[in-house]
Amino acid sequence: MVGITTTLIPINIAMVLLGCFVGSFIGMLPGLGPITAVALMIPVTYGFDPSTGMVLLAGVYYGAIFGGSTCSILINAPGEAATVATAFDGYPMAQQGKPGKALAIAAYSSFSGGTIAVVLLMLGAPIMANVAKSFQSSDYFALMVMGLTAVSAFAGRGGFLKALLMTVVGLMLATVGTDQTSGVQRFTFGSMDLLDGLSFVMLAMATFAITEGLIMVLKRQDTTSVFKAKNIAGISDLKVTKEEFKKIGPTIGRSSLLGFLIGALPGAGATLGSFLSYGMERNLAKPADREQFGKGSIIGLAAPETGNNAASTGSFIPLLTLGIPGSGTTAVMLGALIAYGIEPGPRMFVERPEVFWAVIMSMYLGNIFLLILNLPLIPYFARLLAVPKNILIPGIFFFSIIGVYLITFNNFDIKAMILIATVALVLRLLDFPMAPLLLGFILGGLMEDNLRRSLMIYDGSFSFLWERSITLIINLITLSLLATPVLQWFLARRGNPKVA
Amino acid sequence: MTREKAGALFLLLLFMGYGALAFQIPLIFLSQGETFNARSMPYGIAIAGMVFSLLILILPPATGKKTQTARQALSGLDWRRAAYLILSMVIYSLAIPWIGFLLSSIFFLIAGFYILGERNIKLILLSSIPLVIVLWLLLSKILGMYIAPGEIFYIIGLVK
Repeated sequence: MVGITTTLIPINIAMVLLGCFVGSFIGMLPGLGPITAVALMIPVTYGFDPSTGMVLLAGVYYGAIFGGSTCSILINAPGEAATVATAFDGYPMAQQGKPGKALAIAAYSSFSGGTIAVVLLMLGAPIMANVAKSFQSSDYFALMVMGLTAVSAFAGRGGFLKALLMTVVGLMLATVGTDQTSGVQRFTFGSMDLLDGLSFVMLAMATFAITEGLIMVLKRQDTTSVFKAKNIAGISDLKVTKEEFKKIGPTIGRSSLLGFLIGALPGAGATLGSFLSYGMERNLAKPADREQFGKGSIIGLAAPETGNNAASTGSFIPLLTLGIPGSGTTAVMLGALIAYGIEPGPRMFVERPEVFWAVIMSMYLGNIFLLILNLPLIPYFARLLAVPKNILIPGIFFFSIIGVYLITFNNFDIKAMILIATVALVLRLLDFPMAPLLLGFILGGLMEDNLRRSLMIYDGSFSFLWERSITLIINLITLSLLATPVLQWFLARRGNPKVA
Repeated sequence: MTREKAGALFLLLLFMGYGALAFQIPLIFLSQGETFNARSMPYGIAIAGMVFSLLILILPPATGKKTQTARQALSGLDWRRAAYLILSMVIYSLAIPWIGFLLSSIFFLIAGFYILGERNIKLILLSSIPLVIVLWLLLSKILGMYIAPGEIFYIIGLVK
């Protein structure tokens, strides 16, 4: 009741609405993700009541996640790690002349994932907090390795080795910079600009947005011809049929649960939630549906969108119950709470229940407002793809470059991005997928840190892999996920020796 | 050579170089005796990368699928236009600190439109100038991000 009465005062409702709008807008700008959006809004909230301020920041967070998805779907430029998986099927669907439908499915999936996760949060926050506390470094390491098995989702026929190889390339890129534990420089070649390593946004822009644009130029593709064949009403059509809703319903349910559980683990976050949801749904899909993954599958779009929103909600559990930020964005929000004079942690629920419950209720309202705000705007966003190729492609390059430039205001990053994009272009033409590279890069640093900590705790022994029950269970799941494509190949070969 | 094997060969050489550089990572004396130090992950990655690359090189390509050769995959493409675009991006990155965000972005967009074949001057100017100015206003005035003017404005005394 405290949350409902606190949130439903006019000023707080207005703040949720404002936060969702501002967050969506900022999230759509490449390079400006939820962390930047929340950080930019903190000074705005200084004069507000803490519950009002937190309500605004939560709205900005959700809005930015949704805004990032728009970029991923329309121009294949994911500016935030959590929206990379959305591009795998969202962008092909948009290229097939259905950008409006893609954005609508993303909106419905985000809404559903966020709403289900809020209900789970209300019911299970204390329990999840205890579970999260019991996770150690070895469990996180096993979880990261399991996250890498999602690479099998991008493999396609005969592509599992290539996907693994590109994952290792991503792990390699993650080692550039200063080693966190010992402080030594690795692969920096004496450059000060590489001390902090490569940035995710730079890598995502290089391997997705810029490479995609260059491929369109190389192959003389005029993607706008698809949209010229359809009229504007067709491009902007949001209609999702009953059959399609029925198809993605189970996906939304499963991905919400998985995303929420993953998001509740500090450090795991929305990125892992989105990739694992994508991988899980691909593994569970019927063969006919599985073939569509990566080619505009509605399941392939709904799964990561649901997963990342549910994980974003789940990431509030460690923040609100333990005072531990579950992700980069919640780390910024932790700073905001401290600035308001509130000490987040187990006592917050007792001492400041109005803030605690106001944040939770604002998530529910925020999901509704995002859907209401964004659905009418989707037809206008979708029309972006009807812009002629001669204008659209340089525009994509421009937004990619400034997206990277705005992070550090250092043109070294732009040069590195162009070099990586050129290499990625050649690899793409040679049929090597880029998605596993990004996955490896995102998880590489976390894997190394957790592995190192686990070895320190176990005095250099790898016995943690089987001695801890949580780690063992996760490892067994990982092995079964890895063995499944091999087993399927073997069984198919026995049935038909000509099949690879 | 199929395109997959060409890519695998390139990556094999990359991982061999990476592994060689990993030997040169300095170790602080405390970590020299540790099971896992700053070189461990790079060693593991280099070995894994070389193994996977070699597997792709040695194993036959996926059957039931017509695989292109590397030459087929890379020929018949508009490399000239792509090269001009890449060059324009490099020039843009070099120009930003000197002539500033506004001017360099406008010139980059104009160059990009021209390279891709747009010749309608009005469309080129209307698509580039307002977009860049609106974005600059949004970032610097509304969001409060400081975007430094180019060095040239300091040199000629327009900005102090």
